[in-house]
Amino acid sequence: MKYDDPKLREALAGRYVLGTMPPRARARFDRLIAENAAFCAEVRDWAEMFAPIDAAAIAEAPPPRIWRAIEARIGPAPVVAPARAWFDSPWFDSLWLWRGAAGFATAVAAALLIYIGVAGLTPSAPLPSVVAVLTDKSGAPAWIARSAPHGDAVSVAALGRQTIDSAHSFELWAIAGGAPRPLGLLSSQPYPGLVIAASAVPPTGGVLAISLEPAGGSPTGAPTGPVLFQGKVFSNPL
Amino acid sequence: MRRVAGGDRRGFAELYRQAAPKLFAVALRITQRRDLAEEVLQESFVAVWNQAGNYDPIKGSVMIWLTTIVRHRAIDQRRRRSNLADATAGSDDALMSLAAGPSDRADRGAELGALSRCLDQLEPKPRQAVLLAYVHGYTHEELAARLATPSGTIKSWIRRSLERLKRCLDG
Repeated sequence: MKYDDPKLREALAGRYVLGTMPPRARARFDRLIAENAAFCAEVRDWAEMFAPIDAAAIAEAPPPRIWRAIEARIGPAPVVAPARAWFDSPWFDSLWLWRGAAGFATAVAAALLIYIGVAGLTPSAPLPSVVAVLTDKSGAPAWIARSAPHGDAVSVAALGRQTIDSAHSFELWAIAGGAPRPLGLLSSQPYPGLVIAASAVPPTGGVLAISLEPAGGSPTGAPTGPVLFQGKVFSNPL
Repeated sequence: MRRVAGGDRRGFAELYRQAAPKLFAVALRITQRRDLAEEVLQESFVAVWNQAGNYDPIKGSVMIWLTTIVRHRAIDQRRRRSNLADATAGSDDALMSLAAGPSDRADRGAELGALSRCLDQLEPKPRQAVLLAYVHGYTHEELAARLATPSGTIKSWIRRSLERLKRCLDG
């Protein structure tokens, strides 16, 4: 692919950061960044290069109505946050579970923590619950399966970006006793994730696994490639 | 940022409290209008809340990531309106003194460090083009009008200037 050319990558990333890239080209470039760590790093280098200009800008407090408008749009504020709610939350258990299990990679862990921050631990709102955390071979958390606060759907999403080439797909499998059951193909990007029926998730103690398959998924209906990630189901939503 | 990472909405409020004033200044500098800058800031933070899973430490510091989001939204706002080049033509933004060359801004040199030194190595007009693009979000067309130079020339100035800046800062 032509984007393998480091000179071109550098030039495109430079225009992206400078701001002269036309909107449609920039949208395409946003997708490249999401998929390709080399682009990501290039953009970071350029952005760090120009950052002193923004750091030198004279800060100006925005009017309070801006924050009020943001709050109104992101949902109810946590009114009270009793410690109890935090300790009882499934998030807390899951944090310790995966923390204990993994000598976790900083990058992935940071992405997960931000993800959790963003999920909003508001005791007044219903909590999503973690169904499973899938780790890579080194034990680092790489994917998270969680159920919606209400309802019978489970979403499986990457914690940060997972790299994969266009000739392959990540395929999700349910393993509970018998042969693995295919659950669908996963996007390498953290948002929005694959949504599956909660009834398709193995019962507590079963396993969710992700294998590397040819693009489009396993041709046989059973895993054909290596299992790259797996995790025990520790709380089936049903 | 640790607070956001630590897991609750108050962390997000803290992130806003710390980052919003600089980001608001950046949005104002590009949109040149308070109402639009306010909208950019609001939209950016809502997007950050909804998509923070997309943040990856490989993208650099959180502030740099946020700045890129705000700058691009501000530039989009700016592009929706025409003739902005006129509105910023008389801007006395202190940073624009950078475009004038080394003698005008001895005191800002230290703050901007290596970037400033490398900008000095560019020819005056290409330097001005790069700074107008970054600082105020000028498009190629606006730069062409402002600097009375064909758009094709502007594009090659920018391309060459970016290459030189990169080499200078890497070296």
